Amino acid sequence: MLISALVAAAAFGAAFFAKTPRHRKPRRVAVGAAVGLAAAAVVPGVMGPCGFAAEASQVDHVLFFGLMLTASWLALIVVRMIYDRADGAAPETASMTGEIRSGGFRTKPWVPWLLLSPTLLILVVFLYTPAVQTFTLATKLARLGAPNSIDVCLGNFSELLVADPVRVVAYPLVAVAAVYATSWWRRATSRETVSHRLAEVASTFAVLGIFVALYAVFSPGGDGQVAYRPVYVTTLIITVGTVATGMVGGLAIAYLAFRNIRGGGVYRTLLIWPYAISPTVAGILFFMIFDPTAGIFQYLAEAWFGIDVPNYRENAVLAQAAIILASGWKILGYNILFYLAGLQNVPTSQVEAAVIDGASVWQRFTKIVLPALSPITFFLLVTNLTYAFFEIYATIDFMTKGAPAGKTSVAIYEIIRVGVNNGDLGRGAAQSVLLFIAVIGVTLWQFRTSGERVTYGGAG
Amino acid sequence: MRSRSRLFSLFAVLGLVVAACGGGTTAEPEAPAEAEAPAGTAAGDGDVTTIGFWVAFSDEARLGFTKEKAAEFNAKYPEYNIEVTSFASYNDVFDAAVLAVDSGEPPGIIHFFEAATRQALDAVGADGQPIFKSVTEAIGGRDKILDEPVVLDSVVDAARNYYTVDGSFYSMPWNTSSAIMFSNTDMLEAAGVMEVPSTWAEVEAACEKVMAMPNAPAGCITWPNHSWFVEQSLGQQGELLANNDNGRSGRATEVYLTSDGMLDYVSWWKGLADKGYYTYTGVQRDWDGTANAFLAQEVAMLIYSSSDTTFLTNSGKEAGFDVQASFMPYNGEKEYVGNLIGGATLWLLNGMDKKAEDGALAFMNFFSNPENAAEWHRITGYIPITKDAEALLQSEGWYDESPNSKVASDQLAAAQNTPASLGALLGNFVAIRDIITIAIEDILVNDLDVAERMAQANVEANKSLAEYEALFGG
Repeated sequence: MLISALVAAAAFGAAFFAKTPRHRKPRRVAVGAAVGLAAAAVVPGVMGPCGFAAEASQVDHVLFFGLMLTASWLALIVVRMIYDRADGAAPETASMTGEIRSGGFRTKPWVPWLLLSPTLLILVVFLYTPAVQTFTLATKLARLGAPNSIDVCLGNFSELLVADPVRVVAYPLVAVAAVYATSWWRRATSRETVSHRLAEVASTFAVLGIFVALYAVFSPGGDGQVAYRPVYVTTLIITVGTVATGMVGGLAIAYLAFRNIRGGGVYRTLLIWPYAISPTVAGILFFMIFDPTAGIFQYLAEAWFGIDVPNYRENAVLAQAAIILASGWKILGYNILFYLAGLQNVPTSQVEAAVIDGASVWQRFTKIVLPALSPITFFLLVTNLTYAFFEIYATIDFMTKGAPAGKTSVAIYEIIRVGVNNGDLGRGAAQSVLLFIAVIGVTLWQFRTSGERVTYGGAG
Repeated sequence: MRSRSRLFSLFAVLGLVVAACGGGTTAEPEAPAEAEAPAGTAAGDGDVTTIGFWVAFSDEARLGFTKEKAAEFNAKYPEYNIEVTSFASYNDVFDAAVLAVDSGEPPGIIHFFEAATRQALDAVGADGQPIFKSVTEAIGGRDKILDEPVVLDSVVDAARNYYTVDGSFYSMPWNTSSAIMFSNTDMLEAAGVMEVPSTWAEVEAACEKVMAMPNAPAGCITWPNHSWFVEQSLGQQGELLANNDNGRSGRATEVYLTSDGMLDYVSWWKGLADKGYYTYTGVQRDWDGTANAFLAQEVAMLIYSSSDTTFLTNSGKEAGFDVQASFMPYNGEKEYVGNLIGGATLWLLNGMDKKAEDGALAFMNFFSNPENAAEWHRITGYIPITKDAEALLQSEGWYDESPNSKVASDQLAAAQNTPASLGALLGNFVAIRDIITIAIEDILVNDLDVAERMAQANVEANKSLAEYEALFGG
């Protein structure tokens, strides 16, 4: 099985370079095959061919093969970049900030490295080494203070998925293929045609399809598998909710506070305050507000309206809403800060022109202000997502502790529960690798899609 | 364009600074307490042995007591410096201790909880040596260390038996409690309940009356959804949680989450919740929420740890109602076997030199000498850990003054000394407790079938235990 996997990796490498200029083709294809083979061989070389062992499940086989192919793919991308550079066709690395890219160091090539070395050293010690250790740990059954650890290969990952290898492979592949197909369709059709609109709708659905595919791939529990599907769904709901609340609310408030009102400066300063509060404090604040026994919300609802508010922690919807409210509120100040800065740069001449042309407030907002803010929106989307993925642990821990029955236990909460509180280091590490991949995936997707639609104003 | 990007970076830097200020202070354990030894002695004598004492308390009352006693010890023995460091939880203490052993700067004593006894016994450092050393062994039959009389022999039976593993009393008990019930007797009497209920059936009967009152409270009874109460109930019913006599005649390799005792208890619990008698705060291990509900008179009865007897009794008085403590209600259809302890002990780190080890042992015995143990009991409600401390409290007339404080000790003394009432020694107990708690929350919130859900939990718990045994049992 290992040999056929390696052959497949070599074929993948060859295919990767199949689209090169004809006169160099045979050599490139040969190199591609060799690189694909070598990189794929690194995986069993480092871990041992454990994924194909007799006791491994079929999902393990699939994951292991996927890991080998990923290694090949990464190596091939690097090789292609080297080739491209050698060919003189410098890849278009569009600079995000629109800064001028000419210039460069007129020194010996090692000088930049020397200047970077303090940063690199810190990164290696405090970021890369722990990251590599996390990957290693993720393949083990391990506990602090244990005399030994047990290698479980990819078992910590495969137990989070459904036990059906066909579904594990097919669903994500179909979803990704759909995304590529629809985006190709979108590019192939010309703008302002019906088929282009259709393609746009289809590509949106295709992206949603990825989330559906992942839903189908994560295990609902039972059969010795870990129920990760509920965690996935919860993470999705709370992340989307938090980011949407934080960004829409942030923009709305920033837009209002940006107007010329008396004491505007005071408002604007006060509005930023929630950001200076740590997630823990946000958790405590909302805990105090909504607590069914001692909370002010309960008291006021009863005193003023005679409503007996149910305990939010016992109701999945209320609990999730409370978490979204608390964590969305916490990031609100940050978003307002950036939107206020962004609004100052909305070209007033365009707005005035629009006023003269008779555009309504709403039209001015959607056609001029929003596009002008798109770089900030894009930046905030990335930071808000990162916040929602990683930093709402404390808020959840104070408000619900994952209640009711795990309905507010998002991925990061689950990682800490499993890896830290229960001391199951391997599983905790595996889940954090999963979150790591998710963040990389989301970020890549954002850079690909949002990047197309972001306008950077007068950059040139 | 230029100015815009500069503005951006300014905000980014600002953001980082604010984030660092906001988030940084939360996760850090409290800084080591200042060495409270008299400065003069420390400076004059270069031979001061510093012994780290890592505790899992961070509240003023309990951490304050600890620091005060450490300072008294340091004043009495200038050649020693007991340095108290506070952590947020037992797990944090343990993890930090294991890592400190591996990095070569371990503390001398750590504070670790009962359910993790197996884990502490099994823990080894990177060099393969055990992390902890048996206190009995380290004392080696001495009846005095430095000037401190050894109090280990005077420790009350329930605690002694719990922490004795393979014939060796391993760690020095400190905060020890049991699960007891607190009743708002004013409310019960108003409902026509004159006697505090003692069995499940009596609780239900009392609740029926309480909830029938015209100004009935939100619920009748509550307790934290913590596996400890489940374990207490199994002990009462004489039911084992794990094989090999609850892991006491050999290593436990199987847990029983589907025993009759377990199903009866969880079903009774669910029944109370279904009738609206039991108030679930919605959070697992919710000590604060349940106590608040009781003190806000939203429930008439609270099953809780005796550790807060003093606090609950006084707070009830301040809120204008009488609090009566009583034994934890039991299943009246079965013979009562016994409740178990809860709490934590002090573990002695392995591999200290003779002087440091004696200092640590002397401190442990000083810390729980009759006067200190009695004081600890009075300010908290944890049981007086030694018989001598009990006798002292008795002679001072403390129990006549505050009868609630005696309930936990009496309850533990009433227990038969069987493996069931001692409680289980179990690997991965923290994770298994988590599995139990989650299952019960699932049952309470989502109205699931008790037997089915507990069977599922049983599979998970046994898997967890098997993995632990594969790592440690080998």
